[in-house]
Amino acid sequence: MMKHKLQINPILKRELMVGSRSIKMPLLIMGINLLLTLIVVFVMVIAQVNTSVYDYQSLLQLFPTLACLECGLLSLVVPVFTSSAISGERERQTLDIMLTTPVKPLKIVFGKLESAVIVTMMYIIASVPLLAISFVLGGMNWSALFFQVGMLFYLGIYVGSVGIFCSSVVKKSVAATILTIAIGIGIIAGTGIISGVWIGIENYVGYMKYGDGYNYKIGAELMVLMLNPYAPFFDFILRSVSGTSVFELWKSSGKSSTILQTIYRAWIPISMILNLLVSFGFLKLAARSVVATKTKKVKGKRKGNDGA
Amino acid sequence: MLRIENLTKKYGKFLALDQLNLHIEKGELFGFVGPNGAGKTTTMRIVCGLLKATSGNVYVDGIDAIKNQEDIKRKVGYVPDFFGVYDNLKVSEYMEFYGSMYGMDKKTVDELSKGLLELVNLSDKEDEFVDTLSRGMKQRLCVARALIHNPDLLVLDEPNSGLDPRARFEMKEVLKNLSAMGKTIIISSHILPELSEMCTSIGIMEHGKLITSGKVEEVMQRTQGLQPIKIKAYVENMEKEEAQNYIATFLKEQPLVSKLNYTEDELLVTFGGDEKQSAELLKALFDKHIMVSQFYREKEDLESLFLKITGGQNDEA
Repeated sequence: MMKHKLQINPILKRELMVGSRSIKMPLLIMGINLLLTLIVVFVMVIAQVNTSVYDYQSLLQLFPTLACLECGLLSLVVPVFTSSAISGERERQTLDIMLTTPVKPLKIVFGKLESAVIVTMMYIIASVPLLAISFVLGGMNWSALFFQVGMLFYLGIYVGSVGIFCSSVVKKSVAATILTIAIGIGIIAGTGIISGVWIGIENYVGYMKYGDGYNYKIGAELMVLMLNPYAPFFDFILRSVSGTSVFELWKSSGKSSTILQTIYRAWIPISMILNLLVSFGFLKLAARSVVATKTKKVKGKRKGNDGA
Repeated sequence: MLRIENLTKKYGKFLALDQLNLHIEKGELFGFVGPNGAGKTTTMRIVCGLLKATSGNVYVDGIDAIKNQEDIKRKVGYVPDFFGVYDNLKVSEYMEFYGSMYGMDKKTVDELSKGLLELVNLSDKEDEFVDTLSRGMKQRLCVARALIHNPDLLVLDEPNSGLDPRARFEMKEVLKNLSAMGKTIIISSHILPELSEMCTSIGIMEHGKLITSGKVEEVMQRTQGLQPIKIKAYVENMEKEEAQNYIATFLKEQPLVSKLNYTEDELLVTFGGDEKQSAELLKALFDKHIMVSQFYREKEDLESLFLKITGGQNDEA
């Protein structure tokens, strides 16, 4: 009766089936594309103000503008997608039923994440025709397009993992959404503050040691920023806008340690790998939180029922 | 099929289960009875692997349910008291989803679910969306879902909660059919007359302890002595009051009679004897030339028994 062969995660399959029947998904894609269209029109209007021809430099900003906007939208939309992933199952009491099946909690949270990422990628891919305008105007090429889609895919995994973790520890979907965004802001601000403080301390110590003659150069301090999930995206945008990168910036500051050079040269992949490991950690915690219901008192029983 | 040994569950300082011991034979339809907070749901959730026990052992078909949770999940089907639905999911897709959770392919699930939906009288609803079904239908679908992996033990937590009488009747028929098919079923419910009708054995819980358990008739018989014998009797050539005193004096002298009460024209005798000893008491009355027009012990139903044992704490009983 039981066949053990490669199967699509049943949770992913169900989520996609149920999601595709809802009007929410096409409405979301339409809304996002409408917003991006308005931005394209806006940039084109700005580029033509007070001149009879387009300001080419302004048009070149269209791609990074759209890329940043999509990144921002992803950071808001994915928490909404994932906020009810586990809490919704708890509210419906379907989580209990799932936990009585042989499916492991980690597979449950993976199914939820896969579904959120696939839906996110749908809206990103649906917006590619708008990005293609930049092909005509300049400022992007095929590799930039693939790179951007890849970056958003990676960010979708990260933000989705945080969202699912929050959904597993918070009961209400709205609270889970807010917590996801708060954790995101916390990580961005936290890594920035840590590296800033580190730079400040090094500067201070150097100044105290060498006085006015001290010439500060950035060393390993920026490595903290690798734990910022948006750092690779920032590096990508930096390359698109100015042609430079975090590595080039660091190199220009004058330090030449071979190890640091190697690390900074591979800034993007190292940062992405680190952050994917962190997101896996969030998923593990979410899975643990799902199983933790096993030790809690039965809650949410209906009136007249046994509460113990 | 199910053996529970010294099962204890604590939530902080609250003792939900206190050294619970229970044995359920294969093929039994076991009714779990008890007031709110007695520990029925906790017991069921531990059996299904949804809760960790503080101490004690649970064996399902000889397998340690606490140590081998993966194996147990394939042996137990669970129906919670509340049926949660996914919007935009059809009945057949719902069955397919849970079948795939057990690693079954679509073809196998399709074949199985057809039979199961027929069993729960939902074969004509296969292509309907789950959220459009009535509550009774949803509960029956939930039973079909719990059977998709052909479990040996089916655990139902208040399956009739919130159902109308017709839906309750239909659910009862489904459970009777399953029991006839040899499935071992544990069911908790507040609707005690229904439990007594369909269950082969019952267990009464209170404060995390099993007060009594066994075959329904055995449990009833064990507690039957608690019911008084109702006697209407007369003595020739004596006024009513005088006769009552005469009879009462005589009965008080009889062994196993512990208490006497008079209603308007009935004498309620608390008698600890069995059926044969009751017959001997009746004979003794005849021998004393007491004319008896009524002598019977009222049959106790599960509801009154439950109320008596638990001190009337049931919500609906």
